Amino acid sequence: MPEAAIQETEPKRRHRRRADRALLREGGAWLPRWFWPAFAAPAIIWLLVFFVVPFYTVIAIAFGTIDRFRNPLPVWEPWFWTTQYVRDLWGNIFGADAFLQPTFVRTLLYVVVASAICLVVGYPVAYYAARHAGKYRILLLILLISPFWISYLMRMLAWVNLLATDGYVNDVLLKLHLVGQPTAWLEGKSITVVLGLVYGYIPYMILPLFGFLDRIDTSLLEAGKDLGASPARTFWRVTLPLSKPAILAGLVIVALPMFGDYYTNDLLSGSPKTNMIGNLINDSVFSPGQGPLGAVLVLVLMVMLLIPMGYYVRSTTRSQETR
Amino acid sequence: MAQRHPREGWQAARLQAERITGRHLSRREMLRIMGGSALALPSVSAILAACSNPRDTSTGGFKVATPDNPVTLPKVGKSIADGLQPEKGATLQIYNWDAYMWKPVIQEFCDKYDCDYEWTHFNNMEEAIAKIQTGQLKFDVFFPTYDQLGKLVSAGYLMPLNKSYIPNLEANVWDMFKNPFYDQGAQYSVPYTVYTTGIAYRRDTISDHEIRNNPNPRAMLWDPQYSGKVGVYDSERDTIAFALQKLGINDVNTENPDDITKAKDALLEMIDAVNVRATINGAYLKLPQGEYVLHESWSGDIVAGWGYVNHYTEQEFEALGYWFPADRSGPADNDLITVGASAQNPVLAHKFLDWMLDFKVAMDNYSWNGYQPPQKRADVNALTTTEGRYSKISNWAPPIDYVPPWMPDAVVRESDLQQSQFRIHELSPKGDQLWADAWREFKAGA
Repeated sequence: MPEAAIQETEPKRRHRRRADRALLREGGAWLPRWFWPAFAAPAIIWLLVFFVVPFYTVIAIAFGTIDRFRNPLPVWEPWFWTTQYVRDLWGNIFGADAFLQPTFVRTLLYVVVASAICLVVGYPVAYYAARHAGKYRILLLILLISPFWISYLMRMLAWVNLLATDGYVNDVLLKLHLVGQPTAWLEGKSITVVLGLVYGYIPYMILPLFGFLDRIDTSLLEAGKDLGASPARTFWRVTLPLSKPAILAGLVIVALPMFGDYYTNDLLSGSPKTNMIGNLINDSVFSPGQGPLGAVLVLVLMVMLLIPMGYYVRSTTRSQETR
Repeated sequence: MAQRHPREGWQAARLQAERITGRHLSRREMLRIMGGSALALPSVSAILAACSNPRDTSTGGFKVATPDNPVTLPKVGKSIADGLQPEKGATLQIYNWDAYMWKPVIQEFCDKYDCDYEWTHFNNMEEAIAKIQTGQLKFDVFFPTYDQLGKLVSAGYLMPLNKSYIPNLEANVWDMFKNPFYDQGAQYSVPYTVYTTGIAYRRDTISDHEIRNNPNPRAMLWDPQYSGKVGVYDSERDTIAFALQKLGINDVNTENPDDITKAKDALLEMIDAVNVRATINGAYLKLPQGEYVLHESWSGDIVAGWGYVNHYTEQEFEALGYWFPADRSGPADNDLITVGASAQNPVLAHKFLDWMLDFKVAMDNYSWNGYQPPQKRADVNALTTTEGRYSKISNWAPPIDYVPPWMPDAVVRESDLQQSQFRIHELSPKGDQLWADAWREFKAGA
């Protein structure tokens, strides 16, 4: 950009804005100041009603108390709040008898491993669908989305049958001589829970990757080839770095719900050895007198999730800036 | 009391699931799972209920009922007058655990009294009460657990009964229920079912002789040879009590921190020894299907277990066993039916209570439900030799008695419920905290 143009930009832009408004008024199409923000109103109201209010309720329960039936009783006024449950939970996590620590570590481990598997399995699928599936790409996409037509619950229940000792999974493994005797998948195994998580959330990984890989400008890839890079090198040096935001988005999208998941473990294991934070929350909600502790756990989980979320926001902002 | 209920957690999507999977799942399986959809509800309802009085932290000003400290509940609200006619053309509002009652017996009641019925389900007591607290739920009859009775009465949710409408209570039901410890004089409640808590086992793996002659059968659930095949209820009070008794501590309501710590350690040991799983459907569903060999079990769960085997054959029925101590030293409990204070059809509701205490109705319901009614006329010695109505109409399955003859321990006797030390009752807030902490530690799988 020529130097003069840079100097002109600021004042000119301001002028233009004023001029726009003037124009609107002069043209008879005068619009009040709230006109454009009003477009965002439905979403803002929606968020207020269905996110902010429930979220404040969780806080009011976490710092609240319990009623005579030992059900949680939210306290709305912050000046009446008690930190008793926060302190209790803090003790359970960091205190002398930190019995919740293993659950937190386990949850983190499961989610990291499951997200990584989602990425490793999902990326090639998305890559193929976006770049090489040709006329079948829409069909492939529909097939990828089709599991969503059935509720998560039903799909997991189906797995319960498939993984049973006399289920199809064991039948196949036995026929292929991969195992000598049926594997007891459902007897409280970590691997079953992790694979269950992968199965449940992998479409969330594939879809953003597909969307992004599909939009990569082929001229960039051609440029790579023109400059003498092999296909592998082009992928490594061009495609992969370009898809970093999509990888991050996919990881965040699968990891966040995994952290709160409890169905998968309940259905596929049920062993305390494989319990995750989501199970602790679920248990608290269903145990009299434990409701506020469940609410504190929800808050703790949210704070934990702010870290990957913050990293994601920061890195996407950065990548947009550099573009 | 974080005691899970025999009927906690099921159904809802069962039929749908069966259609999809093409196999018999269970009439009760799904709900634990479906709990998720209900999850948000109780808290929201609790909030709505709490809006008016955000600092109602009182314990209600009633005393905790125990067999040694029986409670006469205060008279809250008015009962109905004598001699009224049941409401005509009404819709009886039933508020009950899911799948805890056989529909034909309700239908027959409605045929007799010219009414319809609407059955609102709940999955656990916390949810049930939270919904009542919203004040939006109108119910005629409600099936609470006895530990909640005092609170429900003091909160004004239940109607004192007029027993002139319920002659069957006097005529048919075990005498102890005319004056139960949680409701002296049976002013608000009639008993629904009774059950004990013992062990369900697969007889094709463990013989009756082996378990009955074991010096401590409860310890078999810690035996590594059954690793992966052992389950306990996902129920704080039941399962900690089970661990206490395994250790020889027979006070199932102990508030002694040392005892509770020992029980907790035993449960943690169980995780390492057998990778135990905490379930709600393990005993009635998964054990009959072969997924477990040993499971802590309410008598009613395993009695109903024949309905859930993979193939309806004599052989599979006979694979199910139930152990309860020969000296009957184990938990025995009962469930209740009550009438709502805001009942729209109070006379019909009273009639319904009486109906459920009718000998034939109670036994028909039992034949499907598996949970025994405390009926005087039911010869407990004959339960293992008499076929129930549900079995008679189940022409797809071989005939089976109310209680299969090979599990006589599952028959509940009045004397079982009269052993005061084995009634699981409410704890003091401090004791409750100890139990809850121990349970959370077990569930965290440390």
